Amino acid sequence: MSMGKLKVLHVDIGGCEGCNVSIIRAYPKLMDLIELDISYLRKEEYKLDEYDVAIITGGACMNEPRILEELKEIREKAHTVVAFGSCATFSGILRFCRGGQEPRADHRNFQPINSVIKVDYSIPGCPPTPQMLQSFFKFYINGDEKRLRLFKVSADIKKLSGFDLIDDIVLTGLCIGCGACELSCPTNAIKLIDKRPNLVQEKCIRCGTCYIRCPRASQILCMGGAK
Amino acid sequence: MMSVTDNLLGNVFGIYLARATDEEILKRKVASGGAVTALLAYALEKGIIDGVVTAKRTEGLEGQAVVARTREELLETAGNKWSIVPFASRMKAKIEEEDLKNVAVVCLPCQAQFFGQMRDFPLLESDFGERIKYIVSLFCIGTFAFEAFLNYLRMKHGIMAQDIKDIALKGDFLEIYHGDSVLSLPIKEVYSYLQAGCLVCTDYTGTWGDISAGFVESEKGWTVLITRNLKAEELVKSAEKDGYIELRDGSHVIGDVLKAAREKLARAQKNMMYLL
Repeated sequence: MSMGKLKVLHVDIGGCEGCNVSIIRAYPKLMDLIELDISYLRKEEYKLDEYDVAIITGGACMNEPRILEELKEIREKAHTVVAFGSCATFSGILRFCRGGQEPRADHRNFQPINSVIKVDYSIPGCPPTPQMLQSFFKFYINGDEKRLRLFKVSADIKKLSGFDLIDDIVLTGLCIGCGACELSCPTNAIKLIDKRPNLVQEKCIRCGTCYIRCPRASQILCMGGAK
Repeated sequence: MMSVTDNLLGNVFGIYLARATDEEILKRKVASGGAVTALLAYALEKGIIDGVVTAKRTEGLEGQAVVARTREELLETAGNKWSIVPFASRMKAKIEEEDLKNVAVVCLPCQAQFFGQMRDFPLLESDFGERIKYIVSLFCIGTFAFEAFLNYLRMKHGIMAQDIKDIALKGDFLEIYHGDSVLSLPIKEVYSYLQAGCLVCTDYTGTWGDISAGFVESEKGWTVLITRNLKAEELVKSAEKDGYIELRDGSHVIGDVLKAAREKLARAQKNMMYLL
């Protein structure tokens, strides 16, 4: 291990593994920069007592005290906490859990990580690409706070989706019809009709990608710093 | 000073006044100086890029996304843009249809922000940021809610959309070239016909671009070029070296650009109080 490598912990607290696969795919190109302690490569205990960065994937089930304790433990161990993927950042599709459903009928209330602990950066996406994680570390290591501002601001937001985009940007008349949202929706829930986005509500998985990709929304977010 | 510049104008690597050397470019209805057209013609002819994606005004204020692969096709797209097309979505299709690997996009600050964010933060597998070599953003005071604006031109001035040949900004006036005559409108009067989203936009120059280009009143016939990184700087310098553009230092016009940027910010802040 060389001196300069960041010590990075990955913990998945429950999701579809899409984000985990993305992190694994990102790792080969990050090996010179970080040393990754990832759930796939350890038995039970974390390898270290302190980390520079903890990447957390998956949403927090509020009916699982064990998970909530683990999150608090990670917060103490890590200098910077990154919520990676829509479940961790905005609760994403886990919002639809309401208990009584297979395969885990006892799960009924998922929250984003920032409902439990302080998060430093939230990177939504379902899942975010490996390149996104590589970009993140590039800017993080360079201390490029300006580039990372959007993700810093997102860390204080608990819910963001196509519904918010429609409410905050389209119904307020602020949409300029650029089509960024349509291109950013992973489920094709957004279609431009008469130069304005139309949301097919059943298709929106609450990932928030459209919102942070909207030039108007992201500009306002970065300026105001809160939603 | 640095922090003001940093916020309002984004990262400024170099600021220049530039002008196309090509007579044919200059005599087209280019917005000012033709430096953007010349710069992109240079990049195309030297094989630095394989296409330029931009908007072309079709009828009235309608525009469509087009790809230019040659200097001639590029000349066809020159001039002011006054409408915004669902550009982002069309662009991906264009790039894929034509299998472009290294494109330059000429766009407005909001579009530059989208492309810049996509390139820096590739959140989706379907993103195409790695194909975008240069983002060229034009200075922007806003785009028209063009149904409303055209209706106003028809009702108040009897100008029909199909008769509009060009629109140009001259100082505090907007000149509408229609048929054989020109209508000069005070810019304040047409603000209400800008899209509401543009009225809360704080970005005048396009801080997410590699190059921002525009015009200042004090240097007529010249394009203001702001380079934002080394890659952009090298393109501008080599285009000058190969005789495609004339280049002068532009540090004396930074105040004019800042003033316009400040006005846009002030307008945005005022409008946000009403709209948000």
